Amino acid sequence: MNKLTVICVDDQRDVLEAVARDLQPLESYIDIEQCESAFECEELMDDLDSQGRAIAVVISDHIMPERTGVELLTRIKKDGRFEYTRKLLLTGLATHQDTIRAINQAAIDNYFEKPWVAEVLIEQVKTLLTDFVLNSGMDYEDLMPILDQSKLYRYLK
Amino acid sequence: MNRHIKAVVCFGLPLLVAFLPLTLFPIESFTLVQQRVLAIFLMAALCWVLEPIPIFATSVLIIVLQLLTISNGGFFLFTQSDSGNLGELLSYQSIMSSFASPIIMLFLGGFFLAMAATKYRLDINLARVMLKPFGEKPSRVMLGLMVITAVFSMFMSNTATTAMMLSILAPVLAVFSKNDMGRVAMALCIPIAANIGGIGTPIGTPPNAIALKYLVGDDAISFGSWMAFGVPFVIILLAFAWLLLCKLYPSSEQSIKLEIKGKFLKTTQAYIVYVTFAATILLWLMGKTHGMNSYVVAMIPVAVFTITKIITKDDLKKISWDVLWLVSGGIAMGAAMGETGLAENIIASIPFENFSPLSIIFGASVLCLLMANFMSHTATANLLLPIVATLGMSMDSLIPYGGAQGIILVVTFAASLGMSLPISTPPNALAHATGFTSTNQMARTGVIIGSVGLLLSYVLVFLLIQVGFIATI
Repeated sequence: MNKLTVICVDDQRDVLEAVARDLQPLESYIDIEQCESAFECEELMDDLDSQGRAIAVVISDHIMPERTGVELLTRIKKDGRFEYTRKLLLTGLATHQDTIRAINQAAIDNYFEKPWVAEVLIEQVKTLLTDFVLNSGMDYEDLMPILDQSKLYRYLK
Repeated sequence: MNRHIKAVVCFGLPLLVAFLPLTLFPIESFTLVQQRVLAIFLMAALCWVLEPIPIFATSVLIIVLQLLTISNGGFFLFTQSDSGNLGELLSYQSIMSSFASPIIMLFLGGFFLAMAATKYRLDINLARVMLKPFGEKPSRVMLGLMVITAVFSMFMSNTATTAMMLSILAPVLAVFSKNDMGRVAMALCIPIAANIGGIGTPIGTPPNAIALKYLVGDDAISFGSWMAFGVPFVIILLAFAWLLLCKLYPSSEQSIKLEIKGKFLKTTQAYIVYVTFAATILLWLMGKTHGMNSYVVAMIPVAVFTITKIITKDDLKKISWDVLWLVSGGIAMGAAMGETGLAENIIASIPFENFSPLSIIFGASVLCLLMANFMSHTATANLLLPIVATLGMSMDSLIPYGGAQGIILVVTFAASLGMSLPISTPPNALAHATGFTSTNQMARTGVIIGSVGLLLSYVLVFLLIQVGFIATI
């Protein structure tokens, strides 16, 4: 089975590990990658993409040195290769202006504030994975257990 | 024109023709079946020109009306006649089979190749590699873009190629200064190259495939031989178009840099796409050595890509069925006109012998070019080629000038050369929508390139006769 990839970006290791731990229940269907900076994330995406891996969701912090999360997500949005990749901003310190840019320029699909609730995050990631799978036209049969069922029914109808 | 008036004209006039008494038509041995085909043809022509309904819907309507009125499975009032002038009914199987004619399968194979190439980004990655040697000087970059667009549009749809190339180009054009004429040239070069490139192979654009339908028996042209004269034609016309654009709309930028991100995919499936793509084209080119014709070869990628899940059932839904059906309708129209003897009868009742053969070739190709500027290239070919083909077959005086092959080729090329207006072709519409070129500018280059291309096609046929490719005895 072709596993989906979820990338987490945060300059704090403990946050990355916490997110990865929360997403563990999905592990048999997704690969969770961890990046400590926006640059690392873009390089990784470049590599993964040329290996034909499906990058379904990017979960990014906003305040990071060098390149912010909103900048990173904006660049991903503009990249034709990642047309279907879903974007989630996970931050505690974004200003009102940052949030506006995150929505208008990076077109993020979801916004989470730190600290987050694991169950809510995992449900949301499932919805984003479903959107990715259905929009990119992947085979969804193997992934059924982790997809948002109501969304799937609506699509198949 | 008002929508209702359009509908009345498009369906009213043909109805009138269908129910007039036979004796009113100045055509010898005219039958009821032929009269109905004539009415359907008139409806198709009006509908394709005025577009009261989508053009592919017109095609579907042609086939359904044929089934109802001139097939042996049709409505009982149409299949029985006491007067003895009914004529011969066509078999319903043969009419329905136009949906799956070899021409359609050839195009389907082409669609599969193009879809797989896009999905595994072979197209964009090739574009990145091919663009490099052209450097950063604006005129060179433009040449590079035109070459790539032309090559791709030989195997992908002209529209898809244009969309891909414009997406690369648009961010760069946005930073050009407002009054730099170079922007116009850049925006125009893509659709021009796509339209010209389509001429290069039988699957480059639907009119070529439709032409193959009429190039049968002794007139048949293989995939490889089409490319043998099509590609040089494309190269010369492309070079001319490039020079023209450089002259008319020179750029004041010193250098431009196109950024295309990405790497060649290195998965098993990507390699399957690369190999299948190359192998299919090679098999198409070497038709003579392995005995498989291009229609049979076209089915290979269809099988390979579906069993390897490269084309999934979701992808299958994205195939341009409208294009396939548009061509099917044309095939059915042409077949009905041929098999009922209508085409021959019409041509026999017009004294074409009184015209010089050259004026007929000239007239048909100019008419085609004009029509193609205002309506769909495919619909133009659908309408004109059945008549032109019959004319080419039946007129002996045409033989020294290339006979059926010659006139079919010239008219087919003319169908691709209609590119002077935003409405002429989807690639033109896309380029116009970028806002970097006005209708005037598009018309200026389109008219010049169209006329030069038409002249060049006469030269081509002349040369093909000289080298003996087209027999003149």
